[in-house]
Amino acid sequence: MKKEWNQYDPGALYDELIAAVHQPREASYKLVEYLRHLTPERFRQCVQESEAVIREMGITFTVYSDAGNIDRAWPFDIIPRIIPAAEWDCTEIGLKQRIRALNMFIQDIYNGGKILKDGVMPADIVLQSKGYRQACIGMTPPHGVWANICGSDLVRHSDGVLYVLEDNLRVPSGVAYMLENRNITKRVLPEIFNTLPIRPVSNYPAQLYEMLASLRPDLDDPTIALMTPGIYNSAYFEHAFLAQQAGLVLLEGADLVVGKDEYVYMKTIKGLERVDVIYRRIDDDFIDPEVFREDSMLGVPGIMRAWKAGKVAIANAPGCGVADDKVIYAYVPDMIRYYLGEEPTLPNVPTYVCRRDEDREYVLEHLAELVVKPANESGGYGMLVGPHSTPEKVEEFRTLIQEDPNNYIAQPTLSLSVTPTSCETPHQERIKIAPRHVDLRPFILSGKDIFVTPGGLTRVALVEGSLVVNSSQGGGSKDTWIVGDVVEGEEV
Amino acid sequence: MLSRVAERVYWMARYLERAEKTARLINVHTALLMDLPGRMEINWFTLIRLFNAEKVFSEHYEWGNEANIMQFLIADTNNPSSLATSLANVRENVRTSLDVLPEEIWEQANQIHLLMTNSLPRIADRYARQIFLREVMKHCQCIRGALDSHMSRDHSFDFMQIGKHLERTDMTSRILEMTSLLLSDDRSDTLRKYDGILWTNLLQALSARQMYLQHIHSRVEGASVMRFLMNDTVFPGSVGYSLAAMSRRMRYLPDPDMPMTMAQRVLEHSQAQDVGAIPAEQVHTLMDYLQSELGVLHAEIAKTWFYPDRSGQQQTQGL
Repeated sequence: MKKEWNQYDPGALYDELIAAVHQPREASYKLVEYLRHLTPERFRQCVQESEAVIREMGITFTVYSDAGNIDRAWPFDIIPRIIPAAEWDCTEIGLKQRIRALNMFIQDIYNGGKILKDGVMPADIVLQSKGYRQACIGMTPPHGVWANICGSDLVRHSDGVLYVLEDNLRVPSGVAYMLENRNITKRVLPEIFNTLPIRPVSNYPAQLYEMLASLRPDLDDPTIALMTPGIYNSAYFEHAFLAQQAGLVLLEGADLVVGKDEYVYMKTIKGLERVDVIYRRIDDDFIDPEVFREDSMLGVPGIMRAWKAGKVAIANAPGCGVADDKVIYAYVPDMIRYYLGEEPTLPNVPTYVCRRDEDREYVLEHLAELVVKPANESGGYGMLVGPHSTPEKVEEFRTLIQEDPNNYIAQPTLSLSVTPTSCETPHQERIKIAPRHVDLRPFILSGKDIFVTPGGLTRVALVEGSLVVNSSQGGGSKDTWIVGDVVEGEEV
Repeated sequence: MLSRVAERVYWMARYLERAEKTARLINVHTALLMDLPGRMEINWFTLIRLFNAEKVFSEHYEWGNEANIMQFLIADTNNPSSLATSLANVRENVRTSLDVLPEEIWEQANQIHLLMTNSLPRIADRYARQIFLREVMKHCQCIRGALDSHMSRDHSFDFMQIGKHLERTDMTSRILEMTSLLLSDDRSDTLRKYDGILWTNLLQALSARQMYLQHIHSRVEGASVMRFLMNDTVFPGSVGYSLAAMSRRMRYLPDPDMPMTMAQRVLEHSQAQDVGAIPAEQVHTLMDYLQSELGVLHAEIAKTWFYPDRSGQQQTQGL
């Protein structure tokens, strides 16, 4: 594969593995050398093996379409993405700092709202947020932690800096794929693990269990369940996988009832048995038809009463989505300074809040260069990407922003980093290694302690030039390696 | 354990047993037909009758020839007891109870799924079909082996054992019922010449030939084969053994009284007559009755453990 690697050129983009043509970064040197010395036949064999493993391990995701839901094999690229350990250690500190501030913020706004009274951020932003839940006022979950599982999205800009793009606090998904990606790499590139100190990720299920158990410090051996919306949910594979790996009871809303004593029970062959901790993979809106959406068939009537009475712990806590809002995101650096008295270690993407006069003025002048996002949407809906848009679309957003400035933020268009990716199918004659854009989703567990996955899930846009990393829209994924310093001559 | 999960592992084991038995039955029947002259009471359609599927079959197919019958029994998802349906149900039940099963089971279920996707288009070809059916049996045995060696003897395991034995009894009784029809006193003289071959094939279809020869010390003949398959106490494929094993398993489960009493009753009824001595017509009646009692036993299991709060709820899976 020497020819393929010699021709590889990321151009002006920041590349995760390659500093310049013929010049791998220090942490990637051994990997690139290894791959360079593979014959194209052997490389193709590895790709085929990875596809076979994925089918055998049944790693799928669901695509919703008019023709019914289809389980597709998980798209995976065998060339790992590498982050040097020293850089990752700083990132980890930054992620921990950020989740501590976010949890203190949620705890504050449901218990008096000191940050609002002190004028650090305007109260109506919070109260109007789609994720704000009046039903949670006055509640303090175990350890004061609301967002127990967080999956932040990080992106690297052409300046080489990792920015936090968003904090996914509701029901972030993807961690099962992070674990499976490592399993696949171990099977298809086993030799390379001897030459590099790669931090293991396999500890996540145990950490997840420990975190969930820590939500009931009063019990020695709490019963912990993972609540799924069911097999038709796009993340069902992950729900079943995590339950299996962590040893959680996998159940659905219909398996649970709330008793007269306000404990939550599951229906077993022995009758009703108490459940102490619920890791719910279902949105707030559907969790309790008594409190939220009455038409929800997925939830458990009365579960909010049980939670407020402290008889069951729910992760993530209901109402934690309030901090997962694009406008509130703009204030996270202020939160860190306010609650922790520290400067943020990880930067936000610079964000213009359209409700501020000067920000709005700037945004309206530079619309064609910016990305505009509505406050309460996720998954890329209702967005304007200025440079890739039409003048009509830009004008449409100008009107939208002027009519409802509170609902919009804008950010500069980032130039996401790229990483070498194999781009031809094995049946074609030539294999091409080409730069493709990536992001990174690390997972942060917060209970009694905070734990960050070493690395996370790297998603890659498989189409040339595309920035869309979602697996439903032609995105794939890669194993992510945090690589420490290599001591020459030492076997790992 | 969750009632819903109990129901799923129970059905997983039933479908697994059904799939393996169906694959074996088709292979054995194919081999048998190669030994028999054409134009006999025994033909491809015998298999359709064995599954009581005459009606469903005639709704979808015009001719009862080998190609159609194999398509129907192996690949057709309109047929609730086709091999493809059973295997799809095994996988679906594994998928929804991953948290209680050893990890390899899921990989095995996926391998079967891939095997089916690749092989089903080619089953019209006898050669490819036999290889496929052998592969299916092998995968089913792999799953059973992994369950056997890696699973704690917990309630999930109990429910699987119960499901397996119930399905096994049901399949055995269907095969015996069909045999009794073929061996009725008014059978043709041509067929009489092949009695021995028929009984040997019957034993093979139930993986019982070697154990029969080992333990019975008799040539293969009707009366002792029937007795072996109904009453033997150490062969795990006999009706008596399976029914006794079921009630033994039930004892480990909470509140087992009703289903255990029922299982006991089915056992007694099945052993009350000497199947080696009664006429073929009576064997037929006895097997019919056994099958309907198995239905009642299943309902009792579902009422006790799967739907304790909604007695009378119908089963959500199965025939």
